[in-house]
Amino acid sequence: MLSLLLCCSFGCSQKSSAVAFQDTAIEDDEVPVDKMDMLLNDDFFDEGKVAEEIYYDPLEPMNRVFFEFNDKLYYWFLSPLNTAYTAILPWDIRFSIGNFVNNLAAPIRLVNNLLQLKIMDAGVEISRFLINSTLGVFGFGDPAMLEFGLAPREEDFGQTLGYWGVGEGVYLCVPIIGPSNVRDLVGFTADAYTHPMVYYIDELYVSAGYYAGSRVNLLSLNPEVYEDLKKYSLDPYVSMRQVYLEYRRKKIDDNPMQRRSDNEL
Amino acid sequence: MIRKPLVFLLVCFVIFCAHVAVASSSPTDSLRPTLEGVIDVIRDPNLAGVDHKKVRREKVMAIATRGFDFTEMSKRALGAAWRDLSQEERQYFEELFTKLLENAYIGKLEGYSGQEIVYQDERIKGNRAAVATIVKSSDTAPFSVSYVMLQNGSDWLVYDLNIEGVSFLRNYSEQFKSILRKDKFAGLVKILEEKNETFEKEESN
Repeated sequence: MLSLLLCCSFGCSQKSSAVAFQDTAIEDDEVPVDKMDMLLNDDFFDEGKVAEEIYYDPLEPMNRVFFEFNDKLYYWFLSPLNTAYTAILPWDIRFSIGNFVNNLAAPIRLVNNLLQLKIMDAGVEISRFLINSTLGVFGFGDPAMLEFGLAPREEDFGQTLGYWGVGEGVYLCVPIIGPSNVRDLVGFTADAYTHPMVYYIDELYVSAGYYAGSRVNLLSLNPEVYEDLKKYSLDPYVSMRQVYLEYRRKKIDDNPMQRRSDNEL
Repeated sequence: MIRKPLVFLLVCFVIFCAHVAVASSSPTDSLRPTLEGVIDVIRDPNLAGVDHKKVRREKVMAIATRGFDFTEMSKRALGAAWRDLSQEERQYFEELFTKLLENAYIGKLEGYSGQEIVYQDERIKGNRAAVATIVKSSDTAPFSVSYVMLQNGSDWLVYDLNIEGVSFLRNYSEQFKSILRKDKFAGLVKILEEKNETFEKEESN
């Protein structure tokens, strides 16, 4: 199943990367384009030039159905559940649970930093894990950030694949999980195997329960994100797709070369 | 003999450069008073609360209109479709779009407190510029906001915001494109009108 998905992703990657790169005109052997200059490359209104599609969404009708499903799931189930959850647990406790969940996912970030040859960042992740698991009492606190100023280095397998040039493939709106694409869904599945949870209790429902719980907790810490998106947009499906694609692209684009040029500024 | 024209040219060049430097302010200099002005109004205790909402919004919009280019935003958000519109249609669309932004984002800004804006860098390319900032606040992790600006005389006006890599204008542009494909301009206008109405209803409640 996984290899099938991978094949599918590679198959689509050529098509989507061709579409994506027309927009930004990056040559393979070129020095990475400066992020700020990228902002000024948005010539999508230049006279006589029709804006290019920068996403690949042939499954839009199906995706829209799942988008509606997730929307209903949110308003009928998640939102009331979140209200109750927020009422029962004070913010401090929910915040600590968030820290715990984050700390437990450190191996995912570590592995993916290593896979992207980000050795320094991998080191930061190890330090963070050691500090937070001990001084932070099993990860419920985040002294690594508060006392040592070490921010987590967010990397997942979807980003690793993107780093090595794997294209996004078809855009997907997945039931329960939300916006994704073939590459990131493969990444999501692969990351599940790097999570220590799987090795403690190898039961699907436990993992699913842990995932659901961590998502509800995350929602309780950022309750307004989805509702704001709905509120400000005229076509929330398109808005979410655009946010997801641009946000993921930015996260993948932070390779060390670029970071160095950022520091020189 | 040969040197003199060179010196003359050099002097001309220096004067020209100095003139350019004096005539146009930097993008950051244009942006700063706008952002600070908006924050001052929102934090002003004399303008706080529901009672002063109308005055407060008017003040924020007065500052925003000086610092943001809503015509350029509308033009870019519609893309190719803008060209086919009549003058009246363009004007009406700009009005609706500006109203939507006012309704949606000032309300959001009002909820924020204790934010600090750190100006990081600016870049100029032709008549456009980008200013990168980091927003630090007590309740969220710091995030990057870049302002994309267009030169207007000696000033620079904002037409796009890029938050953590996500372009605000591009987001609307994609939505408009999708709506225009199905419902044409008349349909888009209707959706915008309805959206603005929902905000106004919510506020009167």
